[in-house]
Amino acid sequence: MDWAQFQKPQRYIGNEWNAVSKPHDGRLKICLCFPDLYEVGMSNLGLRIIYGLINEYESAVCERVFLPAPDLAGYLTQTGTKLFSLESKAALDTFDVVGFHLGCELNFTNFLAVLELAGIPFEPSRRRDIIVMAGGLVNPEPIAPFVDVFFLGEFEAKAEEFMEVLKRYKGREARLEAFAHIEGFYVPAYYEVATGEGGARLVPKTPSVQFPLKKVHVKDLNTSYYPTRWLTPYTQIVHDRAPIEIARGCPHHCYFCQARCVYFPYREKKTEYVLTQMEEIYASSGYENLSLLALSASHHSQIEEIIDGAGKLFKEKRVGIALPSLRVDDIVGRLYPRLAALKKVSLTLAVEAATVELREKINKHIDVDAVFEARDVLRSLRLRTIKLYFMFGLPGETDEDVVAIAQMIRSFQRALGVKVNASINIFIPKPFSRFQDVAMDSPENLRRKRQLIQKELGSFPLRRYHISFSTQERSFLEAVLSRAGREIAPVIFRAFVAGARSDSCEETFRWDIWEEAFRDEKIDFRQYTTSVHPRFNPHYTAGGAV
Amino acid sequence: MNTLKVTIQKSGLMRYYSQLDLVRILERAARRTDLPFAFTQGFTPRLKISFHNGLKLGVEGDILATFYFHEETSFVRLEENLLPQLPHGLILKP
Ligand code: SF4
Repeated sequence: MDWAQFQKPQRYIGNEWNAVSKPHDGRLKICLCFPDLYEVGMSNLGLRIIYGLINEYESAVCERVFLPAPDLAGYLTQTGTKLFSLESKAALDTFDVVGFHLGCELNFTNFLAVLELAGIPFEPSRRRDIIVMAGGLVNPEPIAPFVDVFFLGEFEAKAEEFMEVLKRYKGREARLEAFAHIEGFYVPAYYEVATGEGGARLVPKTPSVQFPLKKVHVKDLNTSYYPTRWLTPYTQIVHDRAPIEIARGCPHHCYFCQARCVYFPYREKKTEYVLTQMEEIYASSGYENLSLLALSASHHSQIEEIIDGAGKLFKEKRVGIALPSLRVDDIVGRLYPRLAALKKVSLTLAVEAATVELREKINKHIDVDAVFEARDVLRSLRLRTIKLYFMFGLPGETDEDVVAIAQMIRSFQRALGVKVNASINIFIPKPFSRFQDVAMDSPENLRRKRQLIQKELGSFPLRRYHISFSTQERSFLEAVLSRAGREIAPVIFRAFVAGARSDSCEETFRWDIWEEAFRDEKIDFRQYTTSVHPRFNPHYTAGGAV
Repeated sequence: MNTLKVTIQKSGLMRYYSQLDLVRILERAARRTDLPFAFTQGFTPRLKISFHNGLKLGVEGDILATFYFHEETSFVRLEENLLPQLPHGLILKP
């Protein structure tokens, strides 16, 4: 194939440093798919963990595939070529399992597009050998009719059982039956949805299958698998750095937050393991940027030792070390001398709400005043930009709270003298967050509030800040797809057939297609956002997180 | 500063990687060795390297490049250490 005929052919080569290629013969074949473009999918840590972990097994081979860009997708369709994996270029339907990472609801249509391009039937009943698996979802129901088996939680915890089932059982049905009996696996065909008072419920068809469904997690982050033979891309990807996870979960409890429930419970990795992994990852990749990953790095009980150790390890090596989730009072306080030694510091603040009163209502604890008090200290850190995250449309929010967002952007810019990048998102009540049952703000109100912010920023010079607002329609769609049940599957399918793709992306998102799909299926999407929809009912427990 | 002029031959699948990608590939490969490569100064230090010609994406061929070092480094030493860190399709010639 002459790859030069496609845009960015680098996406499809699959020969990156530390990519694994093993002969297929006799091995169990698993293909992992992140249904978005290469540069997005390669930035996902979960995918890398599973890729490395499965390839540790001599008896298995694990390869990758991403969503082809429209030019390659068109070529495949025209020439009748089936979508193939990056490493061996084998058609997806020759694998035993195709595993999709579906952390983002707005990738549902891409997921269907990959199935179509691979020639894998949409209905499980029409599949011959292949098993379509999906993980990373909080609410799997909207795509349950297209998936053979879901994985709920952290795959590392059940990789052994996963391999065991594939080894012991031959054939789709036998394997699916075996999965249905193991914690963390959810085989939708073994359950039906009963509707009645109090909403929809999942009812097992056979009493022996897993019920209630439970999410699984690894107990010990020190001993669980982490990929240190770092798969290093040759071309630029979205998050172009190697992350070293230092903790999973979050000890805080912001009421809007879904992440803390997804990664519940809070676990830390000890300094010695963090440093060893950093060293190994650098040695195997030569990555010029590393980051220490956690939802709240400041809370790590050994954060000082970790920063010191990292500083020592990489002192002479000109490696950038990012700590994206530090608390601002730590940056200017106890961690300042250590950070200054690392040279490169970025400041990202998830302020979420611009007033103390509203932050109180959403249980977000962040000391914004510390920034202003420590402006001289911060200026000395040679920050280039600062990034702020806000939400609007929050429960209990007043117009003053909204206007304060613009005011805060201005004061940050003035205090620090650097460009402010602000991302202002619409609040979405996500399942398993404390706010899961509250209604979304109305479209009219959200539009008005957005104007309030823009008006307040008014004459403030544009070169001093950059703002990205989340699109209103896309936020509503995300809310619907994260809160709906199986009944929404036909809408997703219709939108896909009508050409909806990459809905998470501003340029490709087509609300008109979705609106029509809802209309044709006679489903009023507003019912999912105005209050708890009676059908919305998470079918598994998040492990006591709510 | 010591310099070394070498020819990098791009063939096979590597022809689909751009000149910018090549910089990235060489820098990361260099970082995986213990050779005394020189880096640029500043906020984001990069491997110091200059190319004397370019190749179009999809085309195989030779690129003439200069590497910079803190201490004198022979081509033999460079090849011995850097080549094992390069993907198939990239080789070094004096
Ligand atoms: S939003 Fe709050 S609860 Fe969620 S991860 Fe961040 S600090 Fe933790």
